[in-house]
Amino acid sequence: MSRLSWLASAWRRVEAAHDQLFVARWRQGLRREVRRQEDTLRALVMVESLGVDNPVAYETLDLIPYLVADVHEWHQRMGRESFGDPGVCC
Amino acid sequence: MPAIVVALVVAVLFYLGYRYYSSYLAKKVYALDPAFATPAHTMRDGVDFVPTNKHVLFGHHFTSVAGAAPIVGPAIAVFWGWGPALAWVVLGTIFAAGVHDFGALAVSVRHRAKSIGTLARDVINKRARTLFLLIIFFLLTLVNAVFAVVIGNLFVANPEAVLPIVLEIPLAIAIGQYIYRTRSPALVPSIVGVILLYASIGLGQLWPISLAGIAAEDGLFTERNIWVILLFAYTFIASRIPVWVLLQPRDYINSHQLFIALGVIGLGIIVGLDTIVAPAFNDTPEGSPHWFPFLFITIACGAISGFHSLVSSGTTSKQLDKETDARYVGYLGAVGEGSLAVGAILACTAGIVATTADWNAAYPDFATASDGAVGNFVNGVAHFAGNIGVPLTIGTIFAAIVVISFAATTMDTGVRLQRYIVQEIADIVGAKPVARNVTLATAIAVIVPLAMALLPGGGEQGYTFGVLWQLFGTTNQLTAGLALAVIAVWVTKNRRNPIAVLVPLVFLLVMTSWALVVNLGNFIGEGDWVLAPLDAIIFVLAIWLIFEAAVALRKAWLSTRSGGPVAAESESESES
Repeated sequence: MSRLSWLASAWRRVEAAHDQLFVARWRQGLRREVRRQEDTLRALVMVESLGVDNPVAYETLDLIPYLVADVHEWHQRMGRESFGDPGVCC
Repeated sequence: MPAIVVALVVAVLFYLGYRYYSSYLAKKVYALDPAFATPAHTMRDGVDFVPTNKHVLFGHHFTSVAGAAPIVGPAIAVFWGWGPALAWVVLGTIFAAGVHDFGALAVSVRHRAKSIGTLARDVINKRARTLFLLIIFFLLTLVNAVFAVVIGNLFVANPEAVLPIVLEIPLAIAIGQYIYRTRSPALVPSIVGVILLYASIGLGQLWPISLAGIAAEDGLFTERNIWVILLFAYTFIASRIPVWVLLQPRDYINSHQLFIALGVIGLGIIVGLDTIVAPAFNDTPEGSPHWFPFLFITIACGAISGFHSLVSSGTTSKQLDKETDARYVGYLGAVGEGSLAVGAILACTAGIVATTADWNAAYPDFATASDGAVGNFVNGVAHFAGNIGVPLTIGTIFAAIVVISFAATTMDTGVRLQRYIVQEIADIVGAKPVARNVTLATAIAVIVPLAMALLPGGGEQGYTFGVLWQLFGTTNQLTAGLALAVIAVWVTKNRRNPIAVLVPLVFLLVMTSWALVVNLGNFIGEGDWVLAPLDAIIFVLAIWLIFEAAVALRKAWLSTRSGGPVAAESESESES
């Protein structure tokens, strides 16, 4: 390994350590904010499954395929062990 | 005595405390289990619950708990001499703060990483949750009031620091946006950001900002109080914008500042070989409070602070990779804060002056000592910075920026939290308009501490700073008392010896109640009908806490004798 590539590798390690120590905590807040906004959207799109009429259900129908992937994680986080009719989610 | 000798002796004592006492706590009191699946694993969500390397988590925990409070308290308390202040910081850190911070982390991990307020309800009873909210309400009211006064005083004393502090806001937002949008490593932008912040000291010297002229024309408010009003107007706005826009990126810059400041203090002490000129014990002048019991509420953060239990149980417990890491993160976090407090003691006793007579002039009585305490710390750090070649004027502005940045972030967070507390209390008492209206709740969160900071009393600029500071200390100690009560009940229910938790719990509650009673007598004697009722309310909360703790401990002890369930957390273990 040349001296230059050793230096580049060491610099990357320093950057990674700095990132872990100082930036990870800060990015967590950003992720939390993103999750909060996604939760709000998901609740609006899936409001009928919670027993509430959705006057724009026809318009939001197209969004459901994009939101079902992590719906299991979402309803568990919201405090519900199961979600929807049997076989729909879990 | 040379400051470096004190620093070395304290370092050895802290090491022994960590090596032996925290080991005893880990094995015999909290019974940490390396095989226990922590909530970071069982509830992993990639956002809040994330298993984190213990060294990294220690960094996160320490930067969250360390702020301006472990600086201000010791800077005031050296008024009684450096001996009592240092002894309380060292013994408090080893036998109280370490037990408290470590215990709050351990008990939270065993209860699905719940926060201490929820744990108070679960482990003690429902009333304890209401008690917790009330204590936190007064804690946040007083912390916002005292830090506004701290910043106001520093702005008046150091007009050169105003511009750098103002520039730090757009700088923090820009760095935050850059890192967020480019997703590039943050090391270089961080270095550039910190350099730009300190480079702005030159601009601050060129254009110092003073409101003395406005204060003279206005005649209604002093310069400090105009700053206090502006600060609360700022926090009203700052607490309403998303946390990731300003609060977090500025906290991110502050994390770097914390380590820089600790480095400057440490290097300055080692290089300068300064001698402590302050007396080890200072005779209390007529009219000033005696060190016993007031020392124990003047130094809260730095010896033991209830605020740490909020951090331990609120965020750190969700990221603990192994349960056994709680010892390293929790106990060493307390040691780190204690070290900052020792740095503050040394700055105010070895850094600020050359002779004992000079020191006595800076600390003649409690009112003068407490009003000038933060300024003394700033001058002390500037002296330590001078030992490593930083010009005194630059060092003074640097130290002022560090303290103001910490205090401003605490105010931002404090007002934001107070808003939630106001809404929650309003919800409990059925005041729906306040519970549902964020602007109204924020207004209450701002106006109450603003009034505390501005109300006339004591000196010409309002209350003697130390009096407000001590009231803040009592609420902080009561928060610690509540957390220790939760930990003690949990330890007792698990049929382990709770004496290591009970001793600091009883000590704190006795000293805090004692100080509250003495102060209540003083306030009534002086006819102070603002502070007397406030002190009385906090005293009632203290008695309520003692009652709840005693009842819960007795119940826990009886349940172990009658062969009840071994541990409350066994349910949560099975749930998780």
